[in-house]
Amino acid sequence: MQDSKDTELKVGDFNVRSRTPAARLYGTALLEAARQDSRIVCLTADLTLPTETDLIRDELPDRFIQVGIAEANMIGIAGGMARSGDIPFVHSFCVFATRRCYDQIAMQVAYPRLPVKIVGVIPGLSTMLGVSHQATDDIALMRSLPNMTVIEPSEPGQLPSAVQAALDVNGPVYLRLKRAEGSQSTGEARSLIPCKMDVRREGKDGLLVACGMMVPIAIEASDRLAQEGLRVGVVEMATVKPIDPALLDLARKAPVIVTAENHSIIGGLGSAVAELLAESDVKVRFDRVGVRDTFAEGGTTKFLFERYGLDAAHLAERFTRLHARQPKY
Amino acid sequence: MNEPARQPASREHGVERLAEIARDLRRDVIRLVAATGQGYVQQGLGAADLFATLYFAELRLDTADMDWEDRDRFILSTAHNTAVFYATLAARGLVSADAVANYCQDGSAFEINASERVGACVEATCGSLGQGLSVGIGMALSARRRSSTRRVYVLLGDGELQEGQVWEAAMMAATQKLENLCLIVDLNRMQVEGDVADVAAIDPVGDKWRAFGWSVQEVDGNDVTALLGAFEQARSVRNRPSCIIANTLVGRGVPELEGIMAHNLRLPPDVAAAALAALD
Repeated sequence: MQDSKDTELKVGDFNVRSRTPAARLYGTALLEAARQDSRIVCLTADLTLPTETDLIRDELPDRFIQVGIAEANMIGIAGGMARSGDIPFVHSFCVFATRRCYDQIAMQVAYPRLPVKIVGVIPGLSTMLGVSHQATDDIALMRSLPNMTVIEPSEPGQLPSAVQAALDVNGPVYLRLKRAEGSQSTGEARSLIPCKMDVRREGKDGLLVACGMMVPIAIEASDRLAQEGLRVGVVEMATVKPIDPALLDLARKAPVIVTAENHSIIGGLGSAVAELLAESDVKVRFDRVGVRDTFAEGGTTKFLFERYGLDAAHLAERFTRLHARQPKY
Repeated sequence: MNEPARQPASREHGVERLAEIARDLRRDVIRLVAATGQGYVQQGLGAADLFATLYFAELRLDTADMDWEDRDRFILSTAHNTAVFYATLAARGLVSADAVANYCQDGSAFEINASERVGACVEATCGSLGQGLSVGIGMALSARRRSSTRRVYVLLGDGELQEGQVWEAAMMAATQKLENLCLIVDLNRMQVEGDVADVAAIDPVGDKWRAFGWSVQEVDGNDVTALLGAFEQARSVRNRPSCIIANTLVGRGVPELEGIMAHNLRLPPDVAAAALAALD
C-alpha cells in the first residue's frame, strides 16, 4: 500500500489555507476575555479553526462546546446557558449563524434579551465558497429583531475591541467579522465603541457612511474624490443597530451621503441610514452602494467586489454623480 | 457534586393524593377553557397526571423563591398546553389563582402559549415547536459546569418530534452524556391535522431515542405510580440522558371526551358541565 502521508487530506487542510499564517486576533481576544470572565463560554458548529475558537478549546476545554453541524440547536443551547448565568459566544459563518437559525435566535435569544453573542465570519461577498456561504441579508435579519445589537468592525486591529464591545452591550449582539487574512497587515489597534459612529475623515462636500470591509474602500474612494477636488468625509458606522443619531449633525453640514456596505442594500446599513434621515428634518441627496437585490456567486473578493459594484472606483463614481445632481427639495 | 443550598418545599409522594390533585387539575382545565373558548382541553386532560407528578412529587423547587439557583428546571416545549400548566402552577402556589383566572383575556400574562411574561416559573419561552430540548441541554451543561445537583426536565409533544431540531438536540445530549437531563415525551398521538401516525409517522418512538443513545422508559402517562417509578429510575441513570415516553390518553378522565382526537376542542356550556360532573 502506498504511503499516503503526503497525499492524504486532513481536517486542517480545509481549515488552514496555504497562505502565511494570520494573526488570530479574534480568537486571541476572546480567549483573553474568557480568562478574565469565567461566565464566558464558547460554542461552535463544526467550524472551530475558521472561527479561531481552537484557542479556547485548547486552553479552556471546559468552556468550549462543540455542537456539530446543528446551528438551531446551538442557539437553543446558548439560550439555556445564558439563562443559567453564562455568557455564550456562538460561532459559525455569518449566513449559518443568522438565517439558518433565525426563529431560534428570535425566541431563545432576542425575546428574552439574553447575553448571547452571535459571532459570524465570512461577511457578504468575501468568499469563493459560493452563494450558499454568502451572507448578504444577515444584517437585515438581525437588525429587525427587537433587543438585538448589530456590530461589524472594519479592520483586524479592531477585533479585540469588538469582543469587548460585544461584552459591553448588556444583551444579545450579532458580531459580523472579517478575520485577519494571512497576507493582510493587522494594522494598528483601533477602538470600537458600541453604538458610536467614528468619523474617520472629515469632509465638507459630503459623506461616505460605511461599515465592515467597505470602510477602507470608502477611504480609498475619498482619496480618489480628493483628486477631483472633492473633500468627502468617511464615517465608520460599526454599530449598524442601534444607529448613532449623531450622524444627523454631520448630514446637516454635508448633505450629500452615500452609504457603502458589503450586504444587500435592502435592510442593512443603507436602509438604517435612510430611515434615520427620512424621519429627520435634514434634507440630503442620498444613495446606497451595496449588493443590489441579487444573489451572487463564489469568487475572489476583488473579483466579486468589482462585479457587484463594491469597489472604490464605483463608490467614487456614485458619489460624483450624486454630488452633481441638483437637490430636489 | 455540591448539595443544594436549601431543600425544596415538601414533596407529595402519596399516589392517591397525586391522583386527587390530577383530578382537580382536570376540573381547572375544563373551567379555564370553557370560560374563554380558548386553550387546549384534550391535551390538558391527557397530561394532568404528568403535571401533578412532576410538580408535586418530582421537581425540586422552592415555592417561596422561584429564583432559587439550584431549583430543578422544567421547560414546557409544547407551550400551548397551558390550561393544565397554569392550573398546576396555581395549585403549587407558584402563581396566583386569580391571575390564572384571566387566562386568554386581553392584557393577561396568561396567554395561550406560555411566555416568561408569567414570571420566573416559565423557564423559557417556547411555543415555536422543537426548541425546548436545546434550551434544556444548555441548562444541563451550565448545571454540570457549576457542579450543581439541579436537574433539567423538558416536556415535548409527540407531534413535535417531527421538528428536525429535536434530533439535533437528541444527538448532542447523548454526546455530552447529560445524566442530569430528563426528557418527557407526551405521547398522545394527536397533532393539529389528526393522528400523528397519519401525518408523519414517528413510531417506533422508543427505539428512536434508544438508537440516539438515551436511556428510555415507556410508561402509562396516566398512571401516577408508573410515572413516580419512571422519574426515580431516571434519576439513577448515569452517563446518558433519560427519556420517559409517557403514553397519555387525550381527554382522560371525562368518558365522553376520552380518545377524541380534537386539537382545538371547544367546550359549550352543557359539555363543560357534563365534564365537571364526570370529574366530581
